[in-house]
Amino acid sequence: MTTTDGVWSDAIGEPAETLLELRGVRAAYDGIDVLYGVDLVVPRGSVVALLGPNGAGKTTTLRVASGLHTPSAGDVIVAGRRVNGARPEDLARHGFCLVPEGRGIFPNLSVRENLRMMTYSGRTFRHVEDVTMERFPRLRDRRSQVAGTLSGGEQQMLAMARGLATEPALLLLDELSMGLAPIIVEELYEIVAQIARDGVSILVVEQFARTVLGAADYAAIMVHGRIAKVGSPDELEAELSTAYLGA
Amino acid sequence: MIESQDRVEQFRAEIAEMKLRDPATSRERLWLGIGVALMVIGAGLGLASYLISHQSTSPLVQNDAVTLGLAGIVCAVIGAALFLRYSLASFLRFWLARLIYEQKAQTDRLLEK
Repeated sequence: MTTTDGVWSDAIGEPAETLLELRGVRAAYDGIDVLYGVDLVVPRGSVVALLGPNGAGKTTTLRVASGLHTPSAGDVIVAGRRVNGARPEDLARHGFCLVPEGRGIFPNLSVRENLRMMTYSGRTFRHVEDVTMERFPRLRDRRSQVAGTLSGGEQQMLAMARGLATEPALLLLDELSMGLAPIIVEELYEIVAQIARDGVSILVVEQFARTVLGAADYAAIMVHGRIAKVGSPDELEAELSTAYLGA
Repeated sequence: MIESQDRVEQFRAEIAEMKLRDPATSRERLWLGIGVALMVIGAGLGLASYLISHQSTSPLVQNDAVTLGLAGIVCAVIGAALFLRYSLASFLRFWLARLIYEQKAQTDRLLEK
């Protein structure tokens, strides 16, 4: 067992079941290493926040976990099975959903058309629309509006709605708060907490940490491609500045 | 925390049944493909060099054609080497697996007797 494994088990105990686990994951872009042995655990039914400064490797960690980037070493374990080399579309179809940084919506399509794109997963359009409007009532009045003209918060809601339409078991959120007003971020994290209460396991990546800590069960700080600290949100809040500034 | 038990169980079952490619296998296939492509290119270059040299009496053009023909031979040799290396690897792997299986079956038969 590696040191970080020890850190995780100290922080979260021995979870009955983990839905996502990274073991000693290393990754590189064009031969330049970005991740140096990342260990990460998302226990079933919990919200884990992965925090860290810009360039720490958070987004790469999500890309590796979701199959978009092949790790150069280490294991990606989903629901107890090693899935290195799995195609991201296969993982997504089975309920492993990534809401990417920058929202990943089609700005030239209307809200309805964006939602219609999610029917590839086999769900009917009516089902996708019902799930969306129930979770995000604000989008009800915007159905015919072009997605690119929505406010930042509404675009993020649409991105999340597209993810939730597939009824994910595991949801990965990358920089939910990017470019949004604090009040909107707070509103979005209330929705995240609600999704978690419905039993979806969530891994949230954030650079600006305070808001996400309120919704998380566990948190980890990542610095220079390594997990530097793991603990409860309360424990880590006090250490955030030190970890970010490397003091 | 309330959990949607069924959804997670379904997710677990689907992930367990998922067919996974081994990244190493896809790399081997890529090299095998490159080998075949190089052999085809080598043959193409040989044909092209023959046509070029045949259509001209100029020694300069014919020298170019000879160079092209030699490049074609190099391509074909490298391609053949790659093809042999990676097709033999997969054949030997299969052969080894078969040998192990047959030995195990033979041992089982002996034990049954």
